[in-house]
Amino acid sequence: MQINEKTDGPSARLNLAGRFDFHSHRDFRTAYETLLAKAEVREIAIDFGRVDYLDSSALGMLLLLREKAEAAGKKVKLANIGGAVKQVLEIANFGKLFTIE
Amino acid sequence: MHLRILIADAVPADIEPLEAVACKLGHDVMIAQDGIALLEKHRDFEPDLIFMDVALPQLNGVEAVRRIRALPSRRWVPIIFFSVPAAAEDIVRGLDAGGDDYLFKTASPPLIGAKINSYARTLAIQRDVRSYLQELGSWREDAEEQNKLGQHVVSRLLDAAGLSDPLLQWMNTPAETFSGDLVCAARGPGDILYAMLADAAGHGLAAALTALPLTQVFYGMAAKGFPIQTIAEELNRKLKSFLPVERFVAASLVALDIRNQTIDVWNGGNPDILFLDENGTVVLRWPSRHPPLGILPPDLFNSASETVNYQHPGELVLFSDGIIEAEDPAGRRLNLEGLEAILGAAPEGLRLATLEQGVMRHLAGRPDHDDLSAIVVRVPLERRQTLRPAPTAATAETGVSEWRMELSWGVSELRDMDVVPAVLGFISQIQVLKAHQGQLFLILSELFNNALDHGVLGLDSRLKNAEGGFERYLESRENSLKTLSEGRIAMAFHLHQSGERPVLDIRLEDSGRGFDYARLGQLFDAMPDLNQHHGRGILLVKSLCRELTYSGPGNVVSARYLL
Repeated sequence: MQINEKTDGPSARLNLAGRFDFHSHRDFRTAYETLLAKAEVREIAIDFGRVDYLDSSALGMLLLLREKAEAAGKKVKLANIGGAVKQVLEIANFGKLFTIE
Repeated sequence: MHLRILIADAVPADIEPLEAVACKLGHDVMIAQDGIALLEKHRDFEPDLIFMDVALPQLNGVEAVRRIRALPSRRWVPIIFFSVPAAAEDIVRGLDAGGDDYLFKTASPPLIGAKINSYARTLAIQRDVRSYLQELGSWREDAEEQNKLGQHVVSRLLDAAGLSDPLLQWMNTPAETFSGDLVCAARGPGDILYAMLADAAGHGLAAALTALPLTQVFYGMAAKGFPIQTIAEELNRKLKSFLPVERFVAASLVALDIRNQTIDVWNGGNPDILFLDENGTVVLRWPSRHPPLGILPPDLFNSASETVNYQHPGELVLFSDGIIEAEDPAGRRLNLEGLEAILGAAPEGLRLATLEQGVMRHLAGRPDHDDLSAIVVRVPLERRQTLRPAPTAATAETGVSEWRMELSWGVSELRDMDVVPAVLGFISQIQVLKAHQGQLFLILSELFNNALDHGVLGLDSRLKNAEGGFERYLESRENSLKTLSEGRIAMAFHLHQSGERPVLDIRLEDSGRGFDYARLGQLFDAMPDLNQHHGRGILLVKSLCRELTYSGPGNVVSARYLL
């Protein structure tokens, strides 16, 4: 999976592309930890626009991000949800856990 | 790397420069003067590197090499022929026999030193590789040991009598040695069939370990007759306290109550649960309404289940996402539509086998990357059967000792507590009552629900008879409970000897207004209309008890149960 970061003042965005599964663990963590460490970042959007696959370990990573962001007082939202990604997130009812843009 | 070098040569003067260089580089040197001594010293000294002349007395060099190479060995000991240029032909034969290299005796000390250093580097790599291999080997042994233990424990924990229920068919095919999917089933008191299909995030041992805590809770609570909302709550609480944040378990729970023709479902994170009629048409579906178990803290967890009252027989189908995400060699998923097509075309009773074949056909030899599991529950329409008279249990040989208990519940307990399973859990500790758990569960559930629904809450059960009435009834029951401000139910038990038989007297009193119980006598006498919800339950209680009488304005009921 490729991760592309774009930060604009308090809003940061991680644009993901490809398969989001357990192989993405380290890259994804590195990407969000960098953002969590930045005091000026208040909100992190995870953009799934170019993700074509999402498995349960990816859901686990989102939960981990959610918890760490909460502890750091930052908001997390999931953006550009569609297709297979939407289906997985809907079955897991992640709409009840995350803000969906 | 420090080496042990064995030098074999019959001419001491020829050895000298080689020995000098080797010693100067800090290596240990051992000398053999003939072919036999070479073999002996090779055995005893275990050299890392051998320099030898091809022309050796006793046993020539070519034969010595052949014998050394024939020995069982797990490491490579380079053999370098140290001979005169004239022996070139013999050197070739020696290399063919298993030698590795040659160095002419005319070589200068720097060249000899460079050769030794070069082999020292190669041997150092060999040493590292061997130690990695050893480490890897012991890791593998450990892993195999743990796998064996894991398989043993998991198979014991998963092996439950409830899975061989005649109404049930199931499959669970792991992607790896262990399945992160869990299939559980049990009959609770009152013959309610409980089934659970759980799918832990990830797969393999980690996922299996994640799902394991669920089994004990599920079986323990199903055996006591707890409703699935309470079971889901407890499963969630347990997982939340055990698991790290990123681990969770998608789960669907169903309770099939054949006597009351109801199916109760809680689905958190699994694909739709389907209800197929006899023609294979999906007539009902329960999509996931909640996040998986182990994510939300208990105070945010939503245990709301969906109950339906079914009017036709059929089959309930539960499955994990591995099934609908199974990909064919071109990467196309089976999807829900594909699965429903397979199920729809399958003959009733053979749906699980057809589903399994269908998924395998779709995969077409491609290894599944997720665990595949499914449960098919046959849902019969056979409530008449449950109206049989009380089974005759063995009579206690000696008289029972008298025992009494009285309990009473106020508004908040009535709202939040699962009264019947709690009471049953307690009274079934009394030895003589143990064998009667099932009947007592039915009697207590019926009497308690009547006292709560019609007494305290004042609901009219005729509501249920209308189209969609059952669901509306459940809804108004929930609302009334939520807004209930006063009410009380008292339950009294008296176990004693009555003549020759031990009996259990059960008395319930509710704070409601009572009802016209004289009309009940007519209901008992008349051939009951079994399609009416109303009165069916109380007929069952009457058939299970020796006596059933109402008193007061109808808010007190007494039942005598023969042991």
